[in-house]
Amino acid sequence: MTKETEYAIEVDKLTKRYGELLAVNDLSFTVRRGEVFALLGPNGAGKTTTVEIIETIRTPTSGKVTLLGMDVTKKKRDIVPRIGVLPQGFSSFDRITVRETLHYYSRLFGGMRRDIDALIALVNLKEKAKEQYKNLSGGLQQRLGIAIALVNDPEVVFLDEPTTGLDPRARRGVWDVLLGLKKKGKTVFLTTHYMEEAELLADTLAIIAKGRVIATGSPGELIESNANYLTLTLKSVDNKTFEIVENLGFEPVHDNHNNIRVRVGHTDDVQKILNAIKDAGASFPGLDVRKPNLEEVFLKLTGEALREGPVGGRGAE
Amino acid sequence: MNLRVVGANLVVSIKSFYREKTAMFFTIAFPIILILVFGTIFKNQENMSFKLYVQDLDQTWSSAHLAETLKLNGKFKITKVDPAINAMQYAKENKIDLVLIIPKGYESFFNQRIESDAAHASVTIRYIYDPSSSSVSTKMQILNSVFGVINQEVTGTRPFIRTAETSILTKKYRFIEFFIPGIIAMAVMTATLFGTVNVNTELRQKGVIRKLSTTPITRTDWILSNILHQFIIAVICTIAMLVVSYAVFNVSLQINAWLPVFIVLDVFTFVGIGMILTRFVKEAQSAAAAANAIMFPMMFLSGSFFPLEMMPGFLQKFARILPLYYLNEGLRASMVFVNHMTALRYSAIIGVFAAVVFVLGIMATKWENGK
Repeated sequence: MTKETEYAIEVDKLTKRYGELLAVNDLSFTVRRGEVFALLGPNGAGKTTTVEIIETIRTPTSGKVTLLGMDVTKKKRDIVPRIGVLPQGFSSFDRITVRETLHYYSRLFGGMRRDIDALIALVNLKEKAKEQYKNLSGGLQQRLGIAIALVNDPEVVFLDEPTTGLDPRARRGVWDVLLGLKKKGKTVFLTTHYMEEAELLADTLAIIAKGRVIATGSPGELIESNANYLTLTLKSVDNKTFEIVENLGFEPVHDNHNNIRVRVGHTDDVQKILNAIKDAGASFPGLDVRKPNLEEVFLKLTGEALREGPVGGRGAE
Repeated sequence: MNLRVVGANLVVSIKSFYREKTAMFFTIAFPIILILVFGTIFKNQENMSFKLYVQDLDQTWSSAHLAETLKLNGKFKITKVDPAINAMQYAKENKIDLVLIIPKGYESFFNQRIESDAAHASVTIRYIYDPSSSSVSTKMQILNSVFGVINQEVTGTRPFIRTAETSILTKKYRFIEFFIPGIIAMAVMTATLFGTVNVNTELRQKGVIRKLSTTPITRTDWILSNILHQFIIAVICTIAMLVVSYAVFNVSLQINAWLPVFIVLDVFTFVGIGMILTRFVKEAQSAAAAANAIMFPMMFLSGSFFPLEMMPGFLQKFARILPLYYLNEGLRASMVFVNHMTALRYSAIIGVFAAVVFVLGIMATKWENGK
């Protein structure tokens, strides 16, 4: 009965209310098979509510969500064996070892997974296979959580904030595992509020705020379409230089290190500024021209969305 | 329902329980310690001997014979008090709760009464006693009844009222035998209620339940494996308690088919109550408090430790609304009194109760977030 489409996930006009609270507001997006899709948003944007509705553990107030061609509200039994989930704040049985935990989850899914060792190797937990869950560090616990999410060889893997609360080294460890998944061509649905993570891993991302999608596209496209400017930084400049730039009609800002930053639309503007400084006989020891990154796009877009006033209210996470 | 899933879950629960040594201790060792402590106390009470201080002011063969009689085959351990000293002062200084004084002239009055039947010849035995002592009145009662018998014999009148005892039991039971069924019912209650409430609230709070709700395990599988887990622990607990009771105290109890029946009912009752509590307890930390609030009144008011007859009337009535009362009395009916009709009646009452709370418990157990 399930129709195979190009899309692994289709979310159409999804709305979720908790009483007065509108957690998800008319949300629509699609996830293609085989891509890593990141749902990006500030805390309380409705990321977890959305992902839990797709995972069939919450029911929508209205709208339609199709996962692998099946309606999530009607086909829970058929969907569950075909997806893998790392829930937000994942935790497991304290006194059960890594290997035992994977065996346990494997048996819940019908015991089809015989290569528990391969799975342990995939998440780099070989040396910790006999360690009890409570003795693992946060990063290792998350990696076990990812291994559990893969225990039934799922077609779609959901990872809800897989690196929140981890230190940078542990985060890298999780990213290595996720990059491995990406190489295998799994469809991965990732929620995060780390831009670096989304930029590194995602093929497509959707930025949501207050329960609504405010932008979608690949990281490159989003930067291109939302931040087509350059940032010129002039290092260790004096007041004279500041005035020269200002007189050209730009809006320079001082930073803490006696540098000034200027946002310009085009490389020609950079040339214009440098020439003006040169003509005035002023000088500066160094400069830096940079394209904006995803973080700036995110801050710009979510900042606008948050300033726009009450679209939906606070999201539930 | 999926037996493979139930089995996998059972293995994880039992491993977790086995590796959590504190929980193991409280579940299995604690009831055994209770049995050892109470058993030892009761054992001593059964062959208890009292100390008795006797000051013989007469110092004759008859007075010595009386003192000898008062030993009552070891019921009293007699210590002689020097006739020259002040008994009152002696008792005060040495914190002695009872000194019995045989007066001077005991033998001559005794002989007058026996030989010449002189009705005016009588003696006064004096008790110097400390009323704040808890055992002194018992001692004095025993002594009074001994003197009563002696008086009868000396005056030669035959007693009008005699007493005869016929026990309703085939054998005399000891306090420890009364105690063991109560402790079994209580230990199974504690293990089951704590197990259900603690484990479930902790797993829910940590998010393990949420993870499980994204796997094929169902609420029925989960509840069923929880029941089996609690039942296995209850059986281990019960066997351990019985082994200790037989080995250390040589108890004589009837082990029949009622024992597993009451253990199953005990488990269902408290898994049910546990599931209902889990619904209302928000955090794992308050789970223990909530479980205690239910358990403590039951332990003390439903006759686990003491016979209910020792309690005031209104508490005895109150006990009859406590589920543990029916488990206690049911187990006693089967293990001590071998009264199958009573066991059947109590099992029926607790069976209905268990069914109701268990169904309510299932309804109260949230699995998916649902909303």
